[in-house]
Amino acid sequence: MAFPMAVERWLDVARMDELARQGTPVHRIDARAQTVTTLLFIGVVMSFARDELSALMPFFIYPVALMSAGRIPAASLLRKLAVAMPFAVAVGLLNPVFDTRPALALGPLHVSSGWLSFLSIMLRCLLTVSAALLLVACTGMQRLCEGLVRLGVPRVFAVQLLFLYRYLFLLADEGRRMTRGIELRSPGVRGVRFRVYVSLIGHLLLRAMARAERIYHAMQARGFDGRIRLQFTSPLRLADPLFVGGWTLFFAVARVWNLAEALGALLMKGVG
Amino acid sequence: MPSVIEIKDASYVYPDGTQALHAVSLCVEAGEAVALVGANGAGKSTLLLHMNGTLLATQGEVRVAGVEVSRLTLSHARRTVGMVFQDPDDQLFMPTVEEDVAFGPRHAGMAQDDVERRTHEALARVGMSHLRMRPPYRLSAGEKRAVAIATVLAMAPGVLVMDEPSSNLDPRGRRRLIAQLRSFEHARVIATHDLELVVEVCTRVIVLDGGRVVAQGPVRELLNDEARMLAHGLERPHILRHQHPH
Amino acid sequence: MHMADALVSPVVGGTMWLAACGLIGHSVRRIEASAKDHLVPLMGVLGAFVFTAQMINFTIPGTGSSGHLGGGLLLAALLGPHAALLVIASVLTVQALFFADGGLLALGCNIVNLGFFPAYVAYPWVYRVIVRGRYEAMRGSVAALAASVLGLQLGALSVVLQTQASGIAELPFGAFAALMLPIHLAIGVVEGCVTAAVVAFVARARPEVLPVADAEPVRSLRPVLAALLIAAALTGGLLSGWASSLPDGLEWAIARLSGTEEVSALRGTWHARLSAVQERTAVMPDYAFRQTPLSARPDGSDGASAESTTARADAPSALPLGTSVAGVVGGAVTLLVISWLGFVFRKWPRAV
Ligand SMILES: Nc1ncnc2c1ncn2[C@@H]1O[C@H](COP(=O)(O)OP(=O)(O)O)[C@@H](O)[C@H]1O
Ligand SMILES: [Mg+2]
Repeated sequence: MAFPMAVERWLDVARMDELARQGTPVHRIDARAQTVTTLLFIGVVMSFARDELSALMPFFIYPVALMSAGRIPAASLLRKLAVAMPFAVAVGLLNPVFDTRPALALGPLHVSSGWLSFLSIMLRCLLTVSAALLLVACTGMQRLCEGLVRLGVPRVFAVQLLFLYRYLFLLADEGRRMTRGIELRSPGVRGVRFRVYVSLIGHLLLRAMARAERIYHAMQARGFDGRIRLQFTSPLRLADPLFVGGWTLFFAVARVWNLAEALGALLMKGVG
Repeated sequence: MPSVIEIKDASYVYPDGTQALHAVSLCVEAGEAVALVGANGAGKSTLLLHMNGTLLATQGEVRVAGVEVSRLTLSHARRTVGMVFQDPDDQLFMPTVEEDVAFGPRHAGMAQDDVERRTHEALARVGMSHLRMRPPYRLSAGEKRAVAIATVLAMAPGVLVMDEPSSNLDPRGRRRLIAQLRSFEHARVIATHDLELVVEVCTRVIVLDGGRVVAQGPVRELLNDEARMLAHGLERPHILRHQHPH
Repeated sequence: MHMADALVSPVVGGTMWLAACGLIGHSVRRIEASAKDHLVPLMGVLGAFVFTAQMINFTIPGTGSSGHLGGGLLLAALLGPHAALLVIASVLTVQALFFADGGLLALGCNIVNLGFFPAYVAYPWVYRVIVRGRYEAMRGSVAALAASVLGLQLGALSVVLQTQASGIAELPFGAFAALMLPIHLAIGVVEGCVTAAVVAFVARARPEVLPVADAEPVRSLRPVLAALLIAAALTGGLLSGWASSLPDGLEWAIARLSGTEEVSALRGTWHARLSAVQERTAVMPDYAFRQTPLSARPDGSDGASAESTTARADAPSALPLGTSVAGVVGGAVTLLVISWLGFVFRKWPRAV
């Protein structure tokens, strides 16, 4: 839990929810199928040798296909990527420093294996992060949590994920209202004084706990007895196993053969 | 036939020592609409929470449809009394409107067909069927309130208990709420500061002050008693000023 | 200190996922057994609270920087370890899914680093040992401070170990640890102060909501076993990672030894370091310098490693030029084709 969240990021969450409510063919794919495919994708991408570059390229088809068919605007993904990359960039940038072994010779140009692995880290970062973001943009929190329960994730965990998501906006609003008053009185200051901060957080916490208690009462009033019952109505359609199977096949092929390099060789033969 | 709600000398002390109710007694009969009025902190919400066993009286007793509310009879009380909480955001905790309305019937162990039918009917009753698939946090205050009422209607309770139902509503939402409240055949207990709503919906008023019942009687008679209303931090409602007391 | 997907190998990521699943399963069972129904909404709402609290910063006097709440230990102090672990895990999940903080492969690592250590190590073994029974302001503050520092140090160490075992980042263990641990000592102190102050605030305002610390024995053997398991897995992964990259590691250490003076003279700015490296690669295109320090190696294992290094030094010239060019051309063309396909896809659903 590292980064303070800027307000724009909250708007992004709301936008993500909107995106997830579209009715494109991708959005109709079962959440379980999408979750499994996403995890598989990330696993395969990360299993390449650490300075692999060209073999990773074909994998961009997966996020690009989801993005286009699911009508997810690239801009919102890229903005998030920009926020997410710094840690990987910082750690990865040390690779060229520590690993100066030459690895690639392009005529007179020698590229060290450190730079290769750095570029490779950046590529993987792009691939895995966009896959994760697309998963939620193409399913939405509710379907995703349902899918998780059906995949065997404990109900308690999934349910409280849903609660977290449900009350995110509400509490963020409360927090924003509380801080606005302070900001108005001390313009231009980035943070608040520690004493003020503690009482702010303390009040926010007490309110959150009071709210949780009221929600609990409301749940009890409607028969909650400790076990949340969820109804799963959406059955698997033919498209779902096809989605998983098709992508798995592609990932396998692209993992075993370097498709980009093969294409390059073919092109060069054609030219030469 | 017993009163649907009967409270005798109920007192309640919160865990932190605040005594919120002092020997409150009242009755609610089938089909009638009763208003509970009183200043902030008078104990209205606390009293309402006793009607479905969310809080259990420290002293005295609460009966719902003739059955004393205790730890053992909670589910009876909760089936009989439908509670609409003050903040719809506390009540609408599921990811979609439909899920939320279905929560009660589903947790009563009904079959899927019945759950669906009830959900459908309840949403239609409050005119919110078109919001079925929407997430509750994206609704307007009026829509939230209507859906919150639907979540309770779906459980087919005998009594509706509502905490400040018209707070935060715009005039149109409030008009719609009042029309709905008038149309219900259930016994209704409505805690509110909205005295015009009281005049339009209720037949009887109970005035609470400092955790005590300080007055009860027919709406027009009681609310026209300006001196008494002022004494308990209330006012004589505007619409009554333009009419002659009976 | 979110671990990032791009730095985690599938083996390490997978192991940590298993560990995280075990932890979640354990805490779910404990919560279900405790029959505290009210925890269901409370956990979710407090998760949302942690998010909100992280939006708010305070200024750290005299430093010009600002701090904010992490929340792991605070959650444990309010909810007990099991519920706290679940809340932290779900906060991290939402962060991975919506904000791309961390990532899905690294999610297991993050749950272990930011959930397991505060909730199952720092809380039971430090916080509760010091607080003992009812909360009391002085002891509570000391406990929060000590537990926060410990939790974050262990978490940071674990980040270093996981990165190392993954072997994707080149950063050497010692340097990385020397970077991460002091930073997280500072973060831990700040976190401890905030946690102590907020718990004290709650204790004053609503003492009844703080759990009585000895109400439920937490120091059962299972979390400890889990910890051992994780440690074992980590060491295993670490060793195998090292084993496979042993020559690299040594080579690197020696290169650094040989360049010690240069580097220490230039130390400070990354820029200077980077240019030093570039200079070296440019001046010695035949990489002869690598042979010199190797033969000067103190241990007796010259032969084999020297051979392998020679082989590698030759590698670039041995590498057929065609292959790498084909890779570059092919990669670029693939990207172009994929972007074009993107436009095609975008049109297609609309037509349906
Ligand atoms: N959870 C609580 N803990 C302690 N005291 C409370 C709590 N809720 C309400 N009270 C106190 O009980 C009294 C009655 O409150 P309430 O029933 O909410 O009044 P009303 O709904 O009429 O405004 C007030 O003095 C209030 O401060
Ligand atoms: Mg009230």
